[in-house]
Amino acid sequence: MKVFLSLLALPALLLPVACFLYIIVQAFPALDWELIVGSSASSGAAGNLFGDAANAGHGLWSQISGSLLMMLLACLLAAPIALSIALFHALWASPRQQRMLITLLQVLQGIPPIVYGLCGLVLLIHLLHWGISLAAGGVILAVVILPLLSSNAIHALQRIPIEQTESAKALGLSVGAMITRVWFPVAWSGMLTGLLLAMARALSETAPILFTATVFSGVLWPDSIFSPVTSLQTHIFYLAQEGSNAHVIDVAWASAAVLLGLVICFSLSARLLRRYEESS
Amino acid sequence: MLILLWFLWDASSAYWYEFGISQLWAAEWYPYESLYGLLPAIIGTVWAMLIAMLIAVPCGLAAAIVSSEILPVSWQGWIRLGMEMLAGIPSVVYGLIGLWVLLPWLQYTLDLLTGHNLLAAGMILSLMILPTMMVMSQDALRLIPIEQREAAMNMGMNWNQRLMRVLLPQAWTGIRSGILLGLGRALGETMAVMLVVGSLDRVPDPIYNILEPAQTLTSRIGREMGEAAFGSMHFSALMACGLVLAVTAICLSLLAQQKRSFV
Repeated sequence: MKVFLSLLALPALLLPVACFLYIIVQAFPALDWELIVGSSASSGAAGNLFGDAANAGHGLWSQISGSLLMMLLACLLAAPIALSIALFHALWASPRQQRMLITLLQVLQGIPPIVYGLCGLVLLIHLLHWGISLAAGGVILAVVILPLLSSNAIHALQRIPIEQTESAKALGLSVGAMITRVWFPVAWSGMLTGLLLAMARALSETAPILFTATVFSGVLWPDSIFSPVTSLQTHIFYLAQEGSNAHVIDVAWASAAVLLGLVICFSLSARLLRRYEESS
Repeated sequence: MLILLWFLWDASSAYWYEFGISQLWAAEWYPYESLYGLLPAIIGTVWAMLIAMLIAVPCGLAAAIVSSEILPVSWQGWIRLGMEMLAGIPSVVYGLIGLWVLLPWLQYTLDLLTGHNLLAAGMILSLMILPTMMVMSQDALRLIPIEQREAAMNMGMNWNQRLMRVLLPQAWTGIRSGILLGLGRALGETMAVMLVVGSLDRVPDPIYNILEPAQTLTSRIGREMGEAAFGSMHFSALMACGLVLAVTAICLSLLAQQKRSFV
């Protein structure tokens, strides 16, 4: 039995690691500093500083910045809403409402991201005429990460010992003072962990922004929030669709490695933060 | 959530009024001849999910058992860290691996015309949901109180009996919700599937032939959304695909919740 189970478990433990190493090895030939900051950065021309996207395949800086911008926008939109949902859950909701809220959040988390993308396409782009834009992508990603973010915030608030809340109330603190002075100093690290995980999620979602926010090339830096961007995720997808020559394939692997690196940065720091929180 | 469903319904209503519910079972999808049957995509989705589950459930469960029961404790933290990292890998990266590693390999070993097929989609999906499945089952196994293990040992049960009679039945609730979560993820995964599935709108012939190019609901939406004009019948047919997806996903996650609260 033990041997059988171990044999069955071996691929599950080894295959993902092998994939990970394979990506790194494949990306190695194309991956250097030039690629990340853009091929013409050394020429010093201000206009070309952000990578030469017209020459597709060189310089991933515009893709990286596009991804990060969209992620930031999504977090900025989603974080206050998630925070208020968590506060509502902790302060005013009856037990029945709390249960319904949790159920609703989990159901929303189960809906495929591409469905959110479709709704965003209809509402934002066709009915509100925002066009294919950074704003549309940010809003859609915000909706995608909202359930994750708010359930994390709820858990962070739930971990506060009930004695602290009660002694705060007994001291006669107002609700506002209780939130800022008692709850926030305890719960911030949990919330920040949730935020970092949500950022990693927003970076790795591709499907919902494929038709709503991104174009393949020709954008160096978005002029306003209503202009299209390029992003790392969709860049990989387009390269994979088109790619036949060796250089394009190399670049696609390299972009995959860069994206992987970014995502792992966020989720690793979330993990470290959680460890710090548990130790303190 | 209701708003979201209403939107999907509203945008796809033209399609439903025109063709009716029976279109779910119609086999032809040729947008240029106004034939919009959803059956090929639904069958493709079901097959991909099934294959993914067949691979991922036994492997993930075994891996969870091995890592939490057999391997030393000091390894567990590392394995868990690694698994959580892997669960966060973007799906498009998995798609890349599928496209440039798995497909040529399948084509070569099975001697096929093209590597694009449902089997590849299922395999990639199983790779994607393995970490999720494993983390959930591991949590479930770890939540079992130590007294239970000690009692089982005192009764003189050997390792196999302990596993089958005590540990697995108790962890089953958690494992089941892991399975349902994995199913939901497999259902909604777009990018990786889209790159490997081949996008051919046809009911597999015969129906258990998984080595042919096929189509899933998500990959159809992803593939054709760029081409469909807003307000056309094609567009609302794609919205109908989205509606089917959303309803299925909602049912799955409600099911997972109910099981958890009853048991």
